[in-house]
Amino acid sequence: MAFPHRPDAPELPDFSMLKRLARDQLIYLLEQLPGKKDLFIEADLMSPLDRIANVSILKQHEVDKLYKVENKPALSSSEQLCFLVRPRIKNMRYIASLVNADKMAGRTRKYKVIFSPQKFYACEMVLEEEGVYGDVSCDEWAFSLLPLDVDLLSMELPEFFRDYFLEGDQRWINTLAQALHLLSTLYGPFPNCYGIGRCAKMSYELWKRLEEEEDGETKGRRPEIGQIFLLDRDVDFVTALCSQVVYEGLVDDTFRIKCGSVDFGPEVTSSDKSLKVLLNAEDKVFNEIRNEHFSNVFSFLSQKARNLQAQYDRRRGMDIKQMKNFVSQELKGLKQEHRLLSLHIGACESIMKKKTKQDFQELIKTEHALLEGFNIRESTSYIEEHIDRQVSPIESLRLMCLLSITENGLIPKDYRSLKTQYLQSYGPEHLLTFSNLRRAGLLTEQAPGDTLTAVESKVSKLVTDKAAGKITDAFSSLAKRSNFRAISKKLNLIPRVDGEYDLKVPRDMAYVFSGAYVPLSCRIIEQVLERRGWQGLDEVVRLLNCSELAFTDMTKDDKASSESLRLILVVFLGGCTFSEISALRFLGREKGYRFIFLTTAVTNSARLMEAMSEVKA
Amino acid sequence: MWCGPLELVHRPAWPGPGQLGQKVSSQTTALLRNPWRKEKPASARPVLEIYSASGVPLASLLWKSGPVVSLGWSAEEELLCVQEDGVVLVYGLHGDFRRHFSMGNVGGPGGWGKGMESGTLSLPQPTTPLSRRCSRTGFWMPGSSILSLVLGWLSSQEPTASPSVPTWVTSNSAGCQRCQVSPDTPGAAFTAHRCAFCPWDHQRQKLWALGSLRWSFSTTIGLQSAPSCWTTVCQDRVAHILLAVGPDLYLLDHAACSAVTPPGLAPGVSSFLQMAVSFTYRHLALFTDTGYIWMGTASLKEKLCEFNCNIRAPPKQMVWCSRPRSKERAVVVAWERRLMVVGDAPESIQFVLDEDSYLVPELDGVRIFSRSTHEFLHEVPVASEEIFKIASMAPGALLLEAQKEYEKESQKADEYLREIQELGQLPQAVQQCIEAAGHEHWPDMQKSLLRAASFGKCFLDRFPPDSFVRMCQDLRVLNAVRDYHIGIPLTYSQYKQLTIQVLLDRLVLRRLYPLAIQICEYLRLPEVQGVSRILAHWACYKVQQKDVSDEDVARAINQKLGDTPGVSYSDIAARAYGCGRTELAIKLLEYEPRSGEQVPLLLKMKRSKLALSKAIESGDTDLVFTVLLHLKNELNRGDFFMTLRNQPMALSLYRQFCKHQELETLKDLYNQDDNHQELGSFHIRASYAAEERIEGRVAALQTAADAFYKAKNEFAAKATEDQMRLLRLQRRLEDELGGRFLDLSLHDTVTTLILSGQNKRAEQLARDFRIPDKRLWWLKLTALADLEDWEELEKFSKSKKSPIGYLPFVEICMKQHNKYEAKKYASRVGPEQKVKALLLVGDVAQAADVAIEHRNEAEMSLVLSHCTGATDGATADKIQRARAQAQKK
Repeated sequence: MAFPHRPDAPELPDFSMLKRLARDQLIYLLEQLPGKKDLFIEADLMSPLDRIANVSILKQHEVDKLYKVENKPALSSSEQLCFLVRPRIKNMRYIASLVNADKMAGRTRKYKVIFSPQKFYACEMVLEEEGVYGDVSCDEWAFSLLPLDVDLLSMELPEFFRDYFLEGDQRWINTLAQALHLLSTLYGPFPNCYGIGRCAKMSYELWKRLEEEEDGETKGRRPEIGQIFLLDRDVDFVTALCSQVVYEGLVDDTFRIKCGSVDFGPEVTSSDKSLKVLLNAEDKVFNEIRNEHFSNVFSFLSQKARNLQAQYDRRRGMDIKQMKNFVSQELKGLKQEHRLLSLHIGACESIMKKKTKQDFQELIKTEHALLEGFNIRESTSYIEEHIDRQVSPIESLRLMCLLSITENGLIPKDYRSLKTQYLQSYGPEHLLTFSNLRRAGLLTEQAPGDTLTAVESKVSKLVTDKAAGKITDAFSSLAKRSNFRAISKKLNLIPRVDGEYDLKVPRDMAYVFSGAYVPLSCRIIEQVLERRGWQGLDEVVRLLNCSELAFTDMTKDDKASSESLRLILVVFLGGCTFSEISALRFLGREKGYRFIFLTTAVTNSARLMEAMSEVKA
Repeated sequence: MWCGPLELVHRPAWPGPGQLGQKVSSQTTALLRNPWRKEKPASARPVLEIYSASGVPLASLLWKSGPVVSLGWSAEEELLCVQEDGVVLVYGLHGDFRRHFSMGNVGGPGGWGKGMESGTLSLPQPTTPLSRRCSRTGFWMPGSSILSLVLGWLSSQEPTASPSVPTWVTSNSAGCQRCQVSPDTPGAAFTAHRCAFCPWDHQRQKLWALGSLRWSFSTTIGLQSAPSCWTTVCQDRVAHILLAVGPDLYLLDHAACSAVTPPGLAPGVSSFLQMAVSFTYRHLALFTDTGYIWMGTASLKEKLCEFNCNIRAPPKQMVWCSRPRSKERAVVVAWERRLMVVGDAPESIQFVLDEDSYLVPELDGVRIFSRSTHEFLHEVPVASEEIFKIASMAPGALLLEAQKEYEKESQKADEYLREIQELGQLPQAVQQCIEAAGHEHWPDMQKSLLRAASFGKCFLDRFPPDSFVRMCQDLRVLNAVRDYHIGIPLTYSQYKQLTIQVLLDRLVLRRLYPLAIQICEYLRLPEVQGVSRILAHWACYKVQQKDVSDEDVARAINQKLGDTPGVSYSDIAARAYGCGRTELAIKLLEYEPRSGEQVPLLLKMKRSKLALSKAIESGDTDLVFTVLLHLKNELNRGDFFMTLRNQPMALSLYRQFCKHQELETLKDLYNQDDNHQELGSFHIRASYAAEERIEGRVAALQTAADAFYKAKNEFAAKATEDQMRLLRLQRRLEDELGGRFLDLSLHDTVTTLILSGQNKRAEQLARDFRIPDKRLWWLKLTALADLEDWEELEKFSKSKKSPIGYLPFVEICMKQHNKYEAKKYASRVGPEQKVKALLLVGDVAQAADVAIEHRNEAEMSLVLSHCTGATDGATADKIQRARAQAQKK
């Protein structure tokens, strides 16, 4: 089943311009240091850099050797060293130690530090404290948006999640505002803006301020993208914590898609080498299955294989001329398709193997039970067993968090016993992990008794809903509760299914979780777009603890064409999953929208948990 | 055709005679706005007075500094006063002291210009067409980048030298690479001050040329006597000095000195008395002691003309007078009471001067200042000449005539008009009238010419209206600024050269804000360039009014400025602070909408806490960090932490920094806040990240546990204590058994013990740490299977009833591919999981039986899905039958 868009769906803007901009700026920066130089690249920047400028482009601009920034003394013998790094203090210390080592050896070289996407004052401070500020020159490579696909822009800032949602560090918000500003200068103003979450609100305000300061540039331009929706990750942790079952999500969970490409190991390629494969809309086979529920993928691929065979078979009984035509025109395409097909079949097999081994069905069943809120005891003991068996530290943690959020926190007894079990299995340093999870609201203890709820319900009987809401707000600020169950009921996240959910012909966005759950984030977006604002969603917003943090901003003048209004930029602050992307693509197809995704990084449950985990160095 | 001096000043207001001493040097900017300042060479302190071009006094101040060698105006309309010690004092138009800089003590004999008799100080004129505007305040840098500053100096050692002999030569180098901005005068706006000075060393007969700051050269020329006159010329964007010594001319640059001879110079010259370079630096005129004037190109390659005036007395001044793009060239020579215009004609034009006068060359003419008048001598523009020449039949003249007749309602109007139209010259006629109107100074005449143009336009189908409209607007602006109250008598060409922006700047400099705003509004200039910029200047002036209270000033400014785009309140506040009005500055900052802009000034004013909250408001973390570091240095540690405590955003930012850079500070921060939970976490982290020795680690854990107790987090405290116990135990195990135990989790420790056959110890440990049964079973099961110790496993399985059932046994055996062992356990699996177990060991048939027995639909489907190929065909059939049966029932 391919993904035909409705004929009236708007065209996507061309985002390759962002790549060109980034490349040109990088080249300019490299040329600022004329002559041969060695380039030290931070590991996290390697893949994004590869998507912008390959080695031959770097060589053209006199980059001699490439090194990875790691905690080792540099072996470079070049007279000019250039560092391409994220603005992190540990990188500064590394550079400083390198410069100081050179100084001790009486060696003088030129050093240039290029910060991407921007430079932070704290970094310069560290250079200064280490006494090398005068020896290095600093520059910024404002490369903040990497188009991973035709509809997916990533800032490739996985640390955004931990920095903001755990440490409360707001430094990336400015970067985000700059990125939004860049988009609005390139692709016209965004007439309608919606958002929810504290970070979303701050980013939005900062961005608007930037727009005001550079007034007039975008004025009068016709908007290309009619609506923008900003959403904080902490509004919906549940969706991000679920196991993914659409193909692209599953590939990400299993093999880890990094910067839009994946390393298929020997077990997939059925050779002895691993292969790096770019996964995007240009891969025709992948494009057709990426949003499919996994149960359909195999049958689709085998159908495809048969078609392919049939096309190959046509060459029998061809005369010479036809054969020549076939070889020159079709064969290459067929071969390419063949190669991709065998890769994806290999990937599917590999996924099947892994997933059956770990009793994937059981896991999914437990997850669904948690989402729907029944058999809690059973699920809890399943999790306990999971921990006892040391199946996977990350998986166990994920299930615990899922339990906590769906149940408004663990009951004190479970909270203690699960943590004890976990520490016994995986080591005491996870005491810090639990402290982190608690701070982020991912794994909490239920407030003693559900007294709050009791008081609340009594109060709400006495006074009007609005007042009750205010009182509840006051309470929830004391103990921020996820209220998942109530939200789920309000927004109808658990579809009532009569009979089997037909995953081949999805009815709603729930198909991305086998028909068991409509992703909360996507449902919110759907509802807000439908209502053109937050009217009627007050209760939901309150339950999300976002009473002051949901906003709408509509421009009065209606220059936006109806076509642009159906082009929607969704900004995920703190990362989004492929399941959410698939769900929104589905929604777009149903309603004639096209969604564009901007995320600080593509994430999944494992990445979220790792970000919160404390690991021994 | 030459127009006699045109009196421009309505009401001459210069002071009485006798006060115009030799030290008067005058400068007109292209604005023609000509302040006049003088010093009394009396025994008392001299007085510096500044007047507007119409003679209105602007400022008067007592000169308290050292002897002044020369005075001059910069293009920014700043007054430069050069003292004999090489220090240059810079004053504003209103006599306000701006700054000073030094040209350095060159070390020539006699110091700087002692005994100065006369000199000129000429500063860049914003004239050459190449000029480009390079700063907002209207400073012009000529395209040739030639700026010359000429200082006259008469050595006290040679009192007999002729008064006009300058021995100090200053010229600005045009070589761009040498033209670096000097460190004490930042920005392009001060380019005018980059000068080179060439002291004449009499003892060594050496000419020194010294760059003010960055470059210097000294050229030795074999001169036997001091030069009689000199000037700066420009060739190929490089400044040279042309120097006359006796009958010889020398051209100096920074590297060499060469003798030059002007072509076609009449013989018999024994000395040059005066030389003049034209406004555009293209032409040069030489006046010799024989009364002969040579005029040619400045490159000295071509002669244009010559003239013999037969006056041997050295002229007081000689300047060029020409109009851009005009073929006529003329030099104006002034003696005490005589003015002579000479050009390429056998006759000269002479005027008598009633008073002491001073000539200032300009773009399109020469200004003549005397005590009571301010006149302008210029070549009559072509358009005016065509129209006003006696009996002129030029189209413009006819049109003007036609219009006059028309007003008299005479039919002659028609005749004239026909005459022009027959020749098809009506468009030219209109154009001529418009152009001529521009060059007229009297509104009545302007009006009648414009009326004629408008009249002519009526008979033209397609005459583009903009030239007419623009001229009307320009004249309106010009007439407004020419008013003697304003006193900027610009000519039309000068105005066009200057541009409206510069004119506005000059109005602002004169604090004529209302007029400037009216002009902006009249010309409909964009707000940012026009009105708001002027308002900002006004506000900056307003804050200096010390007699008005802070509240009133702030309110007045806000009322006028409102939210005008392009106005930066923080700039104005900075100015207020510069005047020492901190409170006012803070009040003004409150109007600044961008909180980020407020921060630097607040820091400067030592309002760091306010700055912190503003920085946080701006959302710019870098700004917050800047303020934080400021605060850290400014406050003591306790206060600093207290400040942080109230600003969570700043606190988390600082914590992040400390985590990487200052761990100890981080600890102090937690301590200060009594944040025992975080403190505990801090020590836990230290226990494995910072400490190496086991004792240190245990100690760190102990501290952590204490902290957790304080935080009332008993769970964490207990867990930490358990970990301390485990750590000690692991250490003991390592000592006793060898191998690695440290840093393993409890689970892994037990597993390792079992794997190394230490079952007893393992069980002891499990008891000690209260490992639950379920975990222990899983753990043992996995470990024994890993060891493939099937015997022990069986023994274990029978030790008591498994708390985890027996399916895991089956699974784990199959994982090790031991079907035999697996089957043993499959039989013991409880009924709910039996089917699964049987399927795992591959006994499909029995699984089917069980499933049918259970009458469980799900189990049957599960078995069915495991039926593959022919071997299980029978089984599959069996299930199908059972299903059908079940459905029947």
